[in-house]
Amino acid sequence: MATRRDAGSELKFAVDLVNRIVEGIDGIRTGVHICRGNWSKQDSVHLSGDYEPLVPSLSKINVQQLVLEFATPRAGDFGIVGRNLNNREIGLGVASPKTEEVESVEYIVGKVEKALEHYQPENIFLNPDCGFGTFSGCSITTHEAASAKMKRIVEAAKLLRERYAGRAERKVGEAAA
Amino acid sequence: MFDVTQVGSWPRSEKLLRALEDRRNGRMTRAHFDRIADEDVRRCIAAQTEAGVDIVVDGEQRRDSFVSFVTEKVEGTKLMSMEETADDKKAFEQMLKAADVKPGTIRNPVCVGKLSRRDPLAVDEFKFVRSLTDLPVKIALPGPYLLIRTMWGPKFSRKHYPKPTDMADDVVRILRDELIELRGAGCEFVQFDEPVLTEVVHSGKAQEGESFSRTFM
Repeated sequence: MATRRDAGSELKFAVDLVNRIVEGIDGIRTGVHICRGNWSKQDSVHLSGDYEPLVPSLSKINVQQLVLEFATPRAGDFGIVGRNLNNREIGLGVASPKTEEVESVEYIVGKVEKALEHYQPENIFLNPDCGFGTFSGCSITTHEAASAKMKRIVEAAKLLRERYAGRAERKVGEAAA
Repeated sequence: MFDVTQVGSWPRSEKLLRALEDRRNGRMTRAHFDRIADEDVRRCIAAQTEAGVDIVVDGEQRRDSFVSFVTEKVEGTKLMSMEETADDKKAFEQMLKAADVKPGTIRNPVCVGKLSRRDPLAVDEFKFVRSLTDLPVKIALPGPYLLIRTMWGPKFSRKHYPKPTDMADDVVRILRDELIELRGAGCEFVQFDEPVLTEVVHSGKAQEGESFSRTFM
């Protein structure tokens, strides 16, 4: 029965599956990770396109966090996610698992500051775009490169905490008042 | 705020890659394999601790891939190379070449029977990490839609599940039971991987039956 199903019903099916799994389960953080492929160092062979067509479905997924690619330009404009899905946490992709070159602190901070236009600091998590070794048969990077990238992300997080610690505290104070 | 973590997998050492292959070919016992994988998980946790991350992952070091490892844990599944499952092998190999995938390197879990959770999927992974660190732990699991899209193929699965959607109840049960067991074991964060959602909207290949052999993300 190879009937073509439209993307809408396929996405609804996918969202319903996740929601059935997590229904009524608390006491553990749940998240969904979406990417555009992670099997090759050649960036251009992976899928490309922004989150716009996924927004209606993602807004109905009952998980706390969406873990999304943003280090690659293939993921499109952050504003689409920022404007529409900011009522939950974002696991923000700030480094590419496919490249050897380690992203600079400034680059990572820039990505996060873009997210801060839409998200509270405590709802922003920092991670690479995807895993560093998705398939055992085609390792895309090395232990050393992955370690260096994680160190750099931590460095950026420290700087961001210094810069934005006050903002979260103020928010708490405002809520209390 | 600004908690640092990872998405899941970590590069595997040469020794571990050889062990994975030996394990796949039945040339290595589970216990022997685990001793080698334990070393790599320790190395992965050490790298994250040294970097200063807030939530650790085990790097999926014990897994052939983020999705195919379920064949060791789920009844009714078999590990197959994508070439084995393709209907038109020649066209399929050309497609892989265009996508920069080396032949024989990506294997999928294929549904060949009634699906049920024989062993926990990742509770052991979690417990080993917990024995190494007090930091919060994230476990990545293949998402339900990904599992259905990769596991269902007309040639192998139709007898047990006439349509991919017929697998929904069993796949939901497997992942829900796993989530509850991970929570009970003290796991802080479970992430479901659903990479093929982008394939649905960006590749125009969301076609039942065909999807199975093309999904390799």
